[in-house]
Amino acid sequence: MPMKQQGQGKQLKFDELFRLLHFCQTVETEGTDPFDVDVKRFLRTLKQYQKKWRSLDELLLDAEAIAELAKIIELQEQWIKDRSSSFYVDPALLELKLRLLEPQQLATAFLAAWRPIIAQDRLTPQRLQEGLDYWHALLPFDERTDDFPVPALTEAPFELEDLIKSRLFSKQEFDEVLRELSTELEAHGRIDYREFIYTDSFETSVRKAYLTSYLVNEGRANLELNPLEEEIFISPRAVDERIEGDFGPTRSIPVSVSYEEWRAWKKQQQEKRNPGHERSGS
Amino acid sequence: MEEAAAREEESRARAERKLKKAAQLLLFRQHRLPGVKGWELKRALGEDYLEVLEVLNAALDNLGMEVKRISEEGSEGAEQDEKAERDRFVVVLKSPAVEKASGERIDTIAMLSATLAYIISKQGKASRKAVEEFLSAKFPKQRIFFALDRFIKQGYLGEDNNVLYIGWRTRAEVDRKTLLDLILSA
Repeated sequence: MPMKQQGQGKQLKFDELFRLLHFCQTVETEGTDPFDVDVKRFLRTLKQYQKKWRSLDELLLDAEAIAELAKIIELQEQWIKDRSSSFYVDPALLELKLRLLEPQQLATAFLAAWRPIIAQDRLTPQRLQEGLDYWHALLPFDERTDDFPVPALTEAPFELEDLIKSRLFSKQEFDEVLRELSTELEAHGRIDYREFIYTDSFETSVRKAYLTSYLVNEGRANLELNPLEEEIFISPRAVDERIEGDFGPTRSIPVSVSYEEWRAWKKQQQEKRNPGHERSGS
Repeated sequence: MEEAAAREEESRARAERKLKKAAQLLLFRQHRLPGVKGWELKRALGEDYLEVLEVLNAALDNLGMEVKRISEEGSEGAEQDEKAERDRFVVVLKSPAVEKASGERIDTIAMLSATLAYIISKQGKASRKAVEEFLSAKFPKQRIFFALDRFIKQGYLGEDNNVLYIGWRTRAEVDRKTLLDLILSA
């Protein structure tokens, strides 16, 4: 019987916390008044249960509740800032006004407040040439349908923006990592591309290749291709070079990083480190 | 003496070249979205790109235009130089001198105007559902879905987890205070 009561008490704790969490999330998504959440009461409830938490799930729930509360406090700060800013108007009054206005009046108000961006499209001879080159390199449609299966959604490239949106990475972290990589490249000078990106772990190598593509794209490193020898060299781009560098035509260079190639590279490295090992082992 | 004059001439010619290049980069579209990132300008113009932009701004002022710096995170205006590399630079009209600067339909502009005013009044973000419901009082649902997707694609709005917020392009192009004042006084 006491066991049953204990179980019921625990369920009540969870129910209350889930209710509060759900309320916080609703305030965040719906944009309602964040002061509707009684932060002090929420904290008191958490404190009351804190010593009773035992399992990992309970502790995680507690941490999630604290994180939600922090977001609510941030929203409350923002709310006060907005109310004190010159943009503040009573939402109800504005909504009423918007409902009363004719589309013509709304459009006139927008056009009076609009300072459009000036951006002109221009077709240059270089761009036309690129288009022509692309046309020449393109296989007829019926010949390439087999080679170009419709990519599955999961195979779509994962861009930096996706990582940032998914909160797996922040822009600051990314810039910091790029800076470190740039310093590493400057220390090496001109180096074989694969020597630069491959490390003892395949995961790190792929990560390094991904980051290196940004260094090249941002003009902080140069890629030199030797198609006959199948060699690719990478070198840091001097600051002067970057300043004087022309914006001119750029091109994309696909460089594959495969597991098999990495394994072959790693084997080669091991042989270099222990030249006699293979022979003595056999 | 002659050498100094030649150096001065060379420096003047170089500054002019940079100014022309800055104008071309900003006025002609390089990517799908208008504007140029700070790092691109730095790569093309050199370390002193912000100074070049100041000179360009002075030249554009006579034509009723200005260079505007827009942060992807939401802030506007001059901040630290390092951050400028991540910001987007665009040229905008300083004042609405022309009556029609867009080929958009009047009801699309009305929808954008109402959506922006609605979102601004809700502290800069509102659920997509709430916006759709609000607009549906005057426009058919199908047109609303299409228009909102288009505003997001154009950068006027941003969307995160079905929540709409003010996009970078609105921050660049729309004087939000004027918009609200005009709507309230209409």
